[in-house]
Amino acid sequence: MAAMNEENGTAVYNAVEASGPSLARQKLENLLNKSMRIRMTDGRTLVGLFLCTDRDCNVILGSAQEFLKSTDSFSQGEPRVLGLAMIPGHHVVSIEVESDSLLSPRVI
Amino acid sequence: MVMKSSVEEDEAGWGLGIPEKMKNNANWVDITQDFRGACKELNLGELLHDKLFGLFEAMSAIEMMDPKMDAGMIGNQVNRKVLNFQQAVKDGVIRVRDLSLPELIGIMDTCFCCLITWLEGHSLAQTVFTCLYVHNPDLIEDPAMKAFALGILKICDIAREKVNKAAVFEEEDFQAMTYGFKMANNVTDLRVTGMLKDVEDDLQRRVKSTRSRQGEQRDPVVEMEHQQCLALFSRIRFTRLLLTALIAFTKKETSSVSEAQKLMTQTADLLPAIHSTLHHGVQAQNDTSKGDHPIMMGFEPLVNQRLLPPTFPRYAKIIRREEMVCYFSKLIDRIKTVCEVINTTHLHGILDFFCEFSEQSPCVLSRSLLQTTFLMDSKKVLGSHLMHDMIKDALRGFVSPPVLSPKCCLYNNHQAKDYIDSFITHCSRPFCSLIQIHGHNRARQRDKLGHILEEFATLQDEAEKVDAALHSLLLKLEPQRQHLACLGTWVLYHSLRIMIHYLLSGFELELYSMHEYYYIYWYLSEFLYAWLMSTLSRADSSQMAEERITEELQRRGSSKKTKKKKKTRPLSREITMSQAYQNMCAGMYKTMIALDMDGKVRKPQFELDSEQVRYEHRFAPFNSVVTPPPVHYIQFKEMSDLKKYTPPPQSADLYLAASKHFQQAKLILENVPSPDPEVNRILKVAKPNIVVMKLLAGGHKKETKVLPQFDFSAHKYFPVVKII
Repeated sequence: MAAMNEENGTAVYNAVEASGPSLARQKLENLLNKSMRIRMTDGRTLVGLFLCTDRDCNVILGSAQEFLKSTDSFSQGEPRVLGLAMIPGHHVVSIEVESDSLLSPRVI
Repeated sequence: MVMKSSVEEDEAGWGLGIPEKMKNNANWVDITQDFRGACKELNLGELLHDKLFGLFEAMSAIEMMDPKMDAGMIGNQVNRKVLNFQQAVKDGVIRVRDLSLPELIGIMDTCFCCLITWLEGHSLAQTVFTCLYVHNPDLIEDPAMKAFALGILKICDIAREKVNKAAVFEEEDFQAMTYGFKMANNVTDLRVTGMLKDVEDDLQRRVKSTRSRQGEQRDPVVEMEHQQCLALFSRIRFTRLLLTALIAFTKKETSSVSEAQKLMTQTADLLPAIHSTLHHGVQAQNDTSKGDHPIMMGFEPLVNQRLLPPTFPRYAKIIRREEMVCYFSKLIDRIKTVCEVINTTHLHGILDFFCEFSEQSPCVLSRSLLQTTFLMDSKKVLGSHLMHDMIKDALRGFVSPPVLSPKCCLYNNHQAKDYIDSFITHCSRPFCSLIQIHGHNRARQRDKLGHILEEFATLQDEAEKVDAALHSLLLKLEPQRQHLACLGTWVLYHSLRIMIHYLLSGFELELYSMHEYYYIYWYLSEFLYAWLMSTLSRADSSQMAEERITEELQRRGSSKKTKKKKKTRPLSREITMSQAYQNMCAGMYKTMIALDMDGKVRKPQFELDSEQVRYEHRFAPFNSVVTPPPVHYIQFKEMSDLKKYTPPPQSADLYLAASKHFQQAKLILENVPSPDPEVNRILKVAKPNIVVMKLLAGGHKKETKVLPQFDFSAHKYFPVVKII
């Protein structure tokens, strides 16, 4: 799965490079209001709707929920509701979206 | 590389942390690289967002990984397991029985510290409920610990109920949330005090049995046990007395308040014993290497971290044990002061009591206790008096309106009675609100005073109408008597007091800039205090008129010539004090004008506002009042224009005039019989200012460009002017 992701990632990345900045913007806009899962540097994971980003990859998630890492004694499956949360770009470790949100129509 | 490995680790453990719904369609695809790459294409400062989501919304997001905003962050950074009560007991981290004396003492002291930190505005979850023992006292087997845990919970519960009921707190004062914790509601108050008493008696026996006997060689072990038992005894007894006192406050009878006062005195007597035995308790294990809290046995500062709302004070600093004893002694003093309110029955006296009490910036618990003691339920004041009767007495005492005098024909006139009764009924709410306002913290009071002026303006209007109606009734029945502006004078008096308090509190709260002082002091001296004094003297003459009539009636009855007693007028003290205040304000006003002339007041570069905008903002709440009419900026400029004098005064003349005002204030205050601390405080300002003004008038340091300093340490409304 990880291998597939990476392959997928590079493929799209190349496409972005090929067709210039407007496609990159299109791509991000397609992700707006989609569910997003962000892993942070301290091991916590936030799940929420992708609302906003900027050049430094600072991301704002709406209706965000916080999940602790599974090794922690407290992660009995109970997420904590955070609401609107901004994750600074340098604390973002990984970003994931649901696979079907990538299938949404792309502008050619 | 690091990034990648963490992603893999994530894959493994995700199923546990994610709810069912998410798990089902958990076809997550990693787009990290892709996303980062796409972001880089954005311009600097550009936000990519939905149409409906703008910068404004973005501003209200909490920032993750910022320790000030991110409560979840701390919990993730410590390298230890955060256990709840059951887990900790199971793992043997804490014990529920066989607790040693030092352990008990230490836990109790930390609990007291938590209690105080909570009372100072932190959340229960971050203070008292960091103590695992209070999570579930039923599981505790140690009798002393169990009784203590229940006692603390009861104290919290009653305090919370009192504060909620009094409703004189704002979010900065108090957090009432209990986060679903049980506050020992399954046990009665009586049972808890009983349990505490049992433990207390047991300990007392142990204290006695280990006491040193004459001629006996002292075993240091026994001596230590004796000390520790005594320490624990003091703490348990302290808890019991504090709880009992709080319970007394929940009772309706006034007698229970004096009982509470007695209990507080006994509680205070225990404090030295607690203070001297602080060292007997186990101390917190400090492993603060990673910004962690000190860890104390039985406490887990992070146990409730997940319960906190996202935007929250993320870290409650628990006060130290030494400060705890000191805080308790002040708290007890405040509560004892609160108990004294029952000795005051006059409305004006009560208002003064509330004002004075508030001046010490008391804690939310004592403020709330004062409120609930004063107004036990909505009708009865101090448990027995009716607000209605209290207002009547206040009116009689202040202006002696004929309608409330048994000697007047209006007293038994039905129509007049209806008028006055409905007026007094309408007074009840604004006055209760006024008293409640004085229970709020100082900063909030000012805001609320500004608003209540509207209610007093309405009341003023009604008072004038009732006065007019009563006057015309009286003219028909007793043409020689008048009922002019009696009620009106009384309401006006209170409106003026509120306005003055509103302006003065701005000095205490440090709201005004130096260049604003002059119009604030002008408004006070030329306007509000002038009005206050004329209102007071009108009330005074109204009282005298009423007394004359009463005397005449008496003389006619007994025909004996009553000796003319030289009685001090009831309002004379207040008139004198107003004169002193007026002189202080006038002195300050002239000082500020003169300093400005000499270029010693820094003025801002008005760009977007002007002095007029500031002036209007400062006096905005007064616009809702009809009498006295607000003084608009243009009027103020005209009235305070120095060019209308010929020749216009120079700064030296003004300094001299200011000095005379301070001199006058000093004279007035020195002749006040039995001066109170307030008199002395003003004198402390007036005296140095006389000298400084004289020096300035003589041209002292006229050329210096160093700005003068205003030292408010002697009095919160009037500064000592310092020229450096």
